[in-house]
Amino acid sequence: MADGLPDLSARRSRLLGTGERRGLAVSSASTVIVLAALVLLFLLAPGSRAVRHTFFNPADMWRAFVGDPAKGYYSVGEAIWLNIRMFVVAEILILILALVVAVVRQSTGPALLPLRVVSTVYVDVCRGVPLILLIFAIGFGAPALSLRFISSQSAAVYGVAALVISYSAYVSEVYRAGINSVHRSQVAAARSLGLTEGAAMRHVILPQAVRTIIPPLLNDFISLQKDTALVGVLGSIEANKAAELFSDTTFNYSSYVVAAILFLLLTIPLARFTDHLIARDRARRLAGAGQ
Amino acid sequence: MRHITVAAVAAITALTGGVGLAACGSTASSSAGSGTSASASASTASCTNSSIQSELYAKGVLTVATDKPVYPPWFENNTPTNGQGYESAVAYAIAAQLGFAKSKVTWAYEPFDNSYAPGPKKFDFDINEISYSATRAQVVTFSNSYYPVQQALVALKTSPIVTKHTPAELKTYVYGDQVGTTSLAFINSQIQPTQTPKVFESLNDVKQALQDKQIAALVTDTPTAQYISSAEISGSVMVAQFPSTGEHYGLLFAKGNPLVTCVNKALATLTSNGTLAKLQAKYLQIYTSVPTIKP
Repeated sequence: MADGLPDLSARRSRLLGTGERRGLAVSSASTVIVLAALVLLFLLAPGSRAVRHTFFNPADMWRAFVGDPAKGYYSVGEAIWLNIRMFVVAEILILILALVVAVVRQSTGPALLPLRVVSTVYVDVCRGVPLILLIFAIGFGAPALSLRFISSQSAAVYGVAALVISYSAYVSEVYRAGINSVHRSQVAAARSLGLTEGAAMRHVILPQAVRTIIPPLLNDFISLQKDTALVGVLGSIEANKAAELFSDTTFNYSSYVVAAILFLLLTIPLARFTDHLIARDRARRLAGAGQ
Repeated sequence: MRHITVAAVAAITALTGGVGLAACGSTASSSAGSGTSASASASTASCTNSSIQSELYAKGVLTVATDKPVYPPWFENNTPTNGQGYESAVAYAIAAQLGFAKSKVTWAYEPFDNSYAPGPKKFDFDINEISYSATRAQVVTFSNSYYPVQQALVALKTSPIVTKHTPAELKTYVYGDQVGTTSLAFINSQIQPTQTPKVFESLNDVKQALQDKQIAALVTDTPTAQYISSAEISGSVMVAQFPSTGEHYGLLFAKGNPLVTCVNKALATLTSNGTLAKLQAKYLQIYTSVPTIKP
């Protein structure tokens, strides 16, 4: 078999084996057939033409991407920058605030009890309240207070504040899980070396905890990137709002597909990076176990 | 509120009036053309209650859709079924023309964002301050006008915009409007402010932003502006209205719905016998004292 390329064929059979190769052929064929059936179903549906015109019209997608304020809609491509700026700032603040909350909740000193109660209530409440309600409450509540600095911020600032408050509650629990995953003997060892509780946390526990929680952390951040779209309810023009303006103006939903593609372009690289980190971490641990 | 100005139309209509709509784009002429032929054939078409039964969404009843919540002066008490408010009254007047008793009119809830989705509609027509535009008419069918639209400004009495609103001064303020309305196109194409306007999900959010001073003025149609300033936000005032750009509200039908022919005939009757004018006087309180300023 495959006389012309003996090397390649030999390597392939080593990798896959005869049975596996048949399996590959079957899985490729079934994938192609299923995809083709789905595409056909879409193309042959009675409303296919209308759906393609309304959702996937290239001309409308381009118009939505570049925008035309004088006609009543803004560029979706430009609006996504606001989402990007919001989630970058939010992610940095969340990493800090969530760590503080997690460390406070894990603290054991009796003097810190009030802080522990406050942070426990904070996590319970802010994880339980729908994000959109939090955005409304801050976005309309803070300006209504008529305070000099707090009440004069832009909608994006209030939106980021709401995102930080909501997501820090989630992420603090991720931190806490990471901290709890470090074996107690590590704390005992650190304390027996003469480190204070704080120093043990700082130099022994957290470095190990953070390594464990990077994948779930990035998972939350992917979710956060999409949730920046909710800030549009405060009146600022982010990608989802720009898309809504286009569709309301022209009665064509292609702009939403443009926004979806832009969000995918942001989240897929992060998802692949997360996978890479998980694989690397797993490889390291397995290597460690073998030694 | 839910209305759109095509910039070109705004420019042309000053010279040509409503005819400018038909001149805007190739598809526009066909849709406007079908509108004209519909009203022309309406005079000959039979529009008795029994003859339109096959064109109805639900047999025996006229299903009219609108959004939630609905606002005065278009509806009263957020209740479309009470026949009060301009749009509710117009819907029942059309129903009467088509031979439906008041009990034979049912109301469906249709969010504006869903009203133009492809696929079958759950209503005969949607009445929700939706403006005709040539682009929109590619996807849905509009009836003829039941109200001509002008944009107006509402601000807090303490705001500088109340006294300082020359075209140059108007450019310096932050404006707000409700998503999907023609007001945004009006702001950007006519007022051309230096700062990006804010666009909110509902009219209530825009009003809140005005009270919070997040925006200097809100832009909406004159009747809504008049209602907000006189009854809803104490300490607010309707600064002025802007000249007409040729916009009008139309009833929204599924693309190609034949019922539009008879509804247009009903609208023509209601216009010629003075019913629409009477309802406008009753609900929309168009005071002649409203000043008109240039954007």
